[in-house]
Amino acid sequence: MKRFVLGEFEEPYACVDAVRRLRESGVGGLDAYSPHPLPGIEDALLLPRSKVPLVALTGGVLGALGGYAMQWYLNSVAYPITVGNRPQHGFWTNIPITFESGVLLAVLSIFFGSIFGFFQLPRTYHPVFESERFRTASLDKCWVSAETEDEAALEELERKFREVGAHKVHSVAESV
Amino acid sequence: MPPLKSLPIAGQQQRLWRSLDEHAAPPAASRELGPEPPADDATSRRSVLQLLGASAALATLGGCLKQPDEKILPYTKQPPEVTPGNPLHYATASVIDGRATGLLVTASEGRPTKIEGNPEHPSSRGALGPLEQAELLRLYDPQRLKVVQHKSQPRALRDFLQETVYNARGLRGRQGEGLRFLMEPSSSPLIGQLRQRLLDTYPRAKFSAWSAIPLQQIHDGAQLAFGAAYETRLDLSRASVLLSLDSDLLAALPGTLPAMADWAAKRDPGKGELGRLYAVESNLTVTGMNADHRLRVKPSEIQRFGLALLGRLAAQVPALARYGALAQRFTLPPESAKFADALAKDLVKAGRGALVSVGPRQPPALHAAAHAINTALGSACVALARPVLHDMDAGPRALQQLAEEVRGGKVDTLVITAWNPVYGAPSDLNFGKALSLVPHSVYRSLYMDETADRAEWVVPSLHPLESWGDARAHDGTVTFMQPLISPLYGGTTEVEVLAAFLGEGDRSAYTQLRELWRSRQPDDFELRWEKWLGAGFIEGTATKPESPAVRHDQILAAAMQVTPSDAAPAGLQINIVPDYRVWDGRFGNVAWLQELPDPVTKLTWENAALMSPKTAQRLGVSQGDQVDLGLRGPPAHAPVVIEPGHAEDCITVSIGYGRRGEGEALCRGLGFDTSDLRHGDAPWFAPGLTVARTGRKIKVAQTQEHHSMEGRLIAAWTTAAKLKETSEQLAEHRGPTLTAYKPQEYPGHRWGMAIDLSRCTGCSSCMIACISENNIPVVGKEQVILSREMHWLRVDRYFVGDETSNPGVVLQPLMCVHCEFAPCEYVCPVNATVHSDEGLNEMVYNRCIGTRYCSNNCPYKVRRFNFFSYTSSYTNVEKMVFNPDVTVRARGVMEKCTYCVQRIERARIRTRVEGRTIRDGEILTACQQACPTEAIVFGDLNDSKSRVRKLHEEERRYDLLHELGTRPRTAYLARVTNPNPELA
Amino acid sequence: MAETASDLRAQLEPPPLIEGRHDDGTLNKTLNDFVWRRPPRGWLVLLLLGMAGTGVLFTAITITIARGIGMWGNNIPVGWAFGIINFVWWIGIGHAGTLISAILLLFQQKWRTSINRFAEAMTLFAVMQAGIYPILHTGRPWFAYWMIPYPSTNSIWPQFKSPLMWDVFAVSTYFTTSLLFWYIGLIPDLASLRDSSTSRRARIAYGIFALGWRGSARHWHHYKIAYLLLAGLATPLVLSVHTIVSWDFALSILPGWHTTIFPPYFVAGAVFSGFAMVLTLMIPARRYMGLKHVITARHLEAMAKVMLCTGLIVTYGYLMEHFAAWYSGNPYEQYVFFVTRPRGPYAWAYFTQMFCNVVVPQMYWFRWARRNVWTLWIGAVLINVGMWFERFNIIVTSLHRDFIPSNWAMYYPTWVDFSLLFGTICFFGTLFLLFLKFLPAVAVSEVKELNHELHGHRGHPGTEGAHP
Repeated sequence: MKRFVLGEFEEPYACVDAVRRLRESGVGGLDAYSPHPLPGIEDALLLPRSKVPLVALTGGVLGALGGYAMQWYLNSVAYPITVGNRPQHGFWTNIPITFESGVLLAVLSIFFGSIFGFFQLPRTYHPVFESERFRTASLDKCWVSAETEDEAALEELERKFREVGAHKVHSVAESV
Repeated sequence: MPPLKSLPIAGQQQRLWRSLDEHAAPPAASRELGPEPPADDATSRRSVLQLLGASAALATLGGCLKQPDEKILPYTKQPPEVTPGNPLHYATASVIDGRATGLLVTASEGRPTKIEGNPEHPSSRGALGPLEQAELLRLYDPQRLKVVQHKSQPRALRDFLQETVYNARGLRGRQGEGLRFLMEPSSSPLIGQLRQRLLDTYPRAKFSAWSAIPLQQIHDGAQLAFGAAYETRLDLSRASVLLSLDSDLLAALPGTLPAMADWAAKRDPGKGELGRLYAVESNLTVTGMNADHRLRVKPSEIQRFGLALLGRLAAQVPALARYGALAQRFTLPPESAKFADALAKDLVKAGRGALVSVGPRQPPALHAAAHAINTALGSACVALARPVLHDMDAGPRALQQLAEEVRGGKVDTLVITAWNPVYGAPSDLNFGKALSLVPHSVYRSLYMDETADRAEWVVPSLHPLESWGDARAHDGTVTFMQPLISPLYGGTTEVEVLAAFLGEGDRSAYTQLRELWRSRQPDDFELRWEKWLGAGFIEGTATKPESPAVRHDQILAAAMQVTPSDAAPAGLQINIVPDYRVWDGRFGNVAWLQELPDPVTKLTWENAALMSPKTAQRLGVSQGDQVDLGLRGPPAHAPVVIEPGHAEDCITVSIGYGRRGEGEALCRGLGFDTSDLRHGDAPWFAPGLTVARTGRKIKVAQTQEHHSMEGRLIAAWTTAAKLKETSEQLAEHRGPTLTAYKPQEYPGHRWGMAIDLSRCTGCSSCMIACISENNIPVVGKEQVILSREMHWLRVDRYFVGDETSNPGVVLQPLMCVHCEFAPCEYVCPVNATVHSDEGLNEMVYNRCIGTRYCSNNCPYKVRRFNFFSYTSSYTNVEKMVFNPDVTVRARGVMEKCTYCVQRIERARIRTRVEGRTIRDGEILTACQQACPTEAIVFGDLNDSKSRVRKLHEEERRYDLLHELGTRPRTAYLARVTNPNPELA
Repeated sequence: MAETASDLRAQLEPPPLIEGRHDDGTLNKTLNDFVWRRPPRGWLVLLLLGMAGTGVLFTAITITIARGIGMWGNNIPVGWAFGIINFVWWIGIGHAGTLISAILLLFQQKWRTSINRFAEAMTLFAVMQAGIYPILHTGRPWFAYWMIPYPSTNSIWPQFKSPLMWDVFAVSTYFTTSLLFWYIGLIPDLASLRDSSTSRRARIAYGIFALGWRGSARHWHHYKIAYLLLAGLATPLVLSVHTIVSWDFALSILPGWHTTIFPPYFVAGAVFSGFAMVLTLMIPARRYMGLKHVITARHLEAMAKVMLCTGLIVTYGYLMEHFAAWYSGNPYEQYVFFVTRPRGPYAWAYFTQMFCNVVVPQMYWFRWARRNVWTLWIGAVLINVGMWFERFNIIVTSLHRDFIPSNWAMYYPTWVDFSLLFGTICFFGTLFLLFLKFLPAVAVSEVKELNHELHGHRGHPGTEGAHP
């Protein structure tokens, strides 16, 4: 069963700093929580480059291709008919919808990609919420968490947290 | 509901209805006198209710035939020649004021659905005016009178016949003392024979005739000129110089349709020397709109102008020398004088090609003067023949006499078959009051109208398309009327009413008619009869022209009686004219005509006080002001409509509005009644008119509010002299324009149209044809004011030159021009308007979602939108008018001219069956078919020999808004006028 | 001397973006205060009025659908009128939101932060109003779905050369994008509302919409990119939408519509009216919701400058229209721009437009006008009116007198037309009031971030200012 050690920090900078030091001292399963993005936290946690742009690109390209293909197929193959003596396959008149459908699909894939894919949300329960105090993470404090499996390591972790300046330290367990 | 089969009127269906195979044994008709109930007249009060039940049953009729309907439609036994889905055509006639116009009526599944002209008939030549076409809608009018009324109680027709016969027995004892008949002017041989027989039976009975628009002064004029009543028969195909003195010969005279055709033939510069038309009139008329020269004078001055002209001609034409005195007696103001001088020269130059025509509103002396001129110039354009009418005298004079007899208590029984004299009579005759004094009065009418309110018996009359009869054409040709449908409601014909007084109420008009003609043409009658009915008329029965001697002395004497110019009355004059839409009011309840814009004023749903801009300014009134028009009596409240080209110091109003009949809900209360302005001694025009503003504003419903072309090339026009250079200028308004797109190929047919503005008179009969053919809904006055009228085809009227004095007029019929590069098509999001492989711009009604983008992007604005559901309120009887080949459009969809695609498809089917290609002229669009002047030509542009192709290659051809590159399939031909250089 | 110098400095340096010193805690309190406070009477009254007006809207819609488009004043030639005018007007207004949040974000304009949420909400609601009209104005609204390319049994397909089809795609894309952009921005604030909520109901409600957001650094990492990308996509989108709307007119052949200058000048007009609407709503809102410390004179002034700038672009558009008409030598064009509009029966509308859109914004050359809330507010309202009349002139005035004089006719709106316009305004207001009450009108987390950027971390960790 998963266990978390949580430490609260007053200041974003202190928090980022703490995370770096914890990582250097070999603590694993680290994460930080804050009401707004913490500058420099990525380096502190050594996060890899985000894949969101890739998802967006794929969505966009598929959308645009699909949009164009749809117009071409519907107006010059499925239902070809003379309209104001215009060519049935009108390249220029297909551009607006091609663009719009490209954007639409890109946006959808970004949004749902991040929510479901990257954030793993919606999620009704997470162990960190076991601590009432943790509410402040979305208000005005920053939190750092370390995840671990074995109960023995908890003491050690809590100590490390205090060392790096967390002025409140809890440990919570995933309720089963 | 009672089993309809048992209804007597149903029993009679087969008998009344059919035409060609009708000769199969005339129905056994008992000859014995007395009220043996005729098969058609269903007995007793109970069955009156049944009758009502029957009309209620009709209300279950859909547009198409459903099982139960067949009981009541004349299809109990389907005639062999009928294939459901294929319409049949029957020849019949419509009669207005005693003159027959040959019709060809289309019947779909036993209901008439379209009225067209009979190509063989001399009064039609295949064309037709708006009024005759609109008879169709009147047939299905649910407001028609349905049962006999006695003192406004419903009664059976048999009761009426019994009483009449009973009454008749009494009258016979007194030799018919006090028996009076007031009839419409009639030319019917059958009526003539019945009248004779009635006079034999009742020697003291009297017949008089009434029409609100009588030709009496024409007859009086002939009387004066020749000592006997004659009618002029015009032949405009020879007229090179044509003068109309208040004569609306291009719209409102007997024989108008052939006259228009002949006139138009001489307006085509491609076909020899052009005719020249002079018009002297007060209000702008259809004839005036098409004149090369037009003189505006007060109505009372027209006669003096004519006599002054005669005076001028005296100097140049020896035969007229004696009229020299008139020149001094009738002096003209400078403008008129210049006009008269040039005109006189032109007439003399024309010689046999000259023609002076005088309108029926003008006094006899002027008619006589015209006769003098025409004969002296040896005009070949006019023939004289004895009138075809039984009564020469059908005007206020006759009615006056009758009214006095009534007041003198000399009239005991008055039978009225004329249309609504109580409404139409000049108010000072007080005919209404007189009628209520008559002990026994009978009135036969289609509606509960003003006269019906005062008559003792009101007998519903049958609609022309329901009745048998005969009449003479304008040239005397005997023409037959045959029913296409059994009576929708109980009713009787004029013949049957008269016959009742001979105790022959049981002998139907059909029997009477056949027996008359059998007696006239006994040998192989049946064959002839079939031939006649098939053709619709008897060939070679036109009355022979005569050449009586002109009695110049009498004419001169009469002319000298006319008050000279210096004593001419000053001040405002009233000028009363027939209405182009409702004629004398009898068509008031026909919605198609109410919504038809007046050809001249573009006014719908009412009449108005027309006056020239200057006069309006002088009177301090403006468009839409309500004014009180007063003339020797109570005032009429009229809205002002400013009419460019109207004469100064006179105000024109048209008759036929301000109806009060309780049975005519549609037209009741529209416009204003002019009978208070008409007087027995001056039914048409009179001085001493007073005008006062009431301070109220009235929104008049005009379909066109802007009358200037703003210097754009919309309706091109030029003069014969300038034709060459104009056609050079027009060169850049035809032919293909620069385009980024590869034009589509049209290998098969390439349908196209050409409209010749030179030929179009603006009579608007194409509009009614289009309405009738394409099930176009009527939207009502309010919607017209909001400019939501639905007409697919409109006739635009533009003024050129000074709108405040005497502008020229150009008319332009405009419907969808079927652009090859149609701007409407590529903006439709749902492919609801697309192009066919023959170049039709097609409208897919049931795909349309009504964005109206197509209309916004249509530079011609010929698309119409169903803002409401305009047809959902139609009763089932009204729905019978619909053309089964054309979709009735739903609310919220766009619609427009289709080039009558349903006719194209019918032709395609027919020719495929016959295994041949479609010939040129085989497809006539509805508008083209109705057009009396052949101004509209439709056909295949790929066929190098087709008429339309030839017209497209004409030098006068141009494309409307050519610079937009829409490549319209409809081409226009510039209007060419032929002004007199002396007056230019 | 010193005073005057300091006064001078005071005048020269712009007012701050955030007035006073705040830490996250106080920001939380003040910015979400309105959500927790029990609704003030003024708010309730306004809400009731708004709902009444919304009732009017739905009555008018019902009548239109039941009786037909004939209940409107439209006719032939004027096939489009109030319906499309209002559509374009609302869509235009809907542009400010995305523009502020997206474009200003890309340009890293700090002053966007405290107003973007507000503006995005306005965008959404405006686009919702706009969406009502195109469907309603069709003759058969129940068939409007035929514009969607779906395989129908009669196998007829839409016609993609029609600008109306482009509209369908552009507007729906724009609405979706704005909605998602707005929502993704909301998630952290919803979480903070969840966590600062005192009642269980509120906590559950906000909890659901917060989707269980816990502000994890790993999420923020993707979140920033996603947000930036959405902004990047929204920017060309917002430009494309009004461009496409303008093509509804520019691609027709009608004089007064057929103009290549339409796309840029429509977009500028849209931003113009959008900012005007933001100001119209924000000036009262910031006062009554106590947001003056985060929405400062600096913001208002910046927006005034944007209005001045876009106003000038619009003015240039008007000039070019008239110049092109004159220079083209096309008689129909010339007639529209030199006769119909300035001298025709609708001249009054033309001059209203010119006054409101050309003359009024000129006052924002002066600082006093940019700093005084009254001149700002009245100016903004007038600009909204002016932009409505611009569309009136483009649509109705061009249509009522086109090529062939015989079909010229006047257009008169009916009470249904007015009810629809009035109704959508009320519906818009209602949605907005609900938004103000139940969601943070200011992007709290972003303001916190900005706050840290601006003021660094005053005081030392672990000292006082611990959580109360």
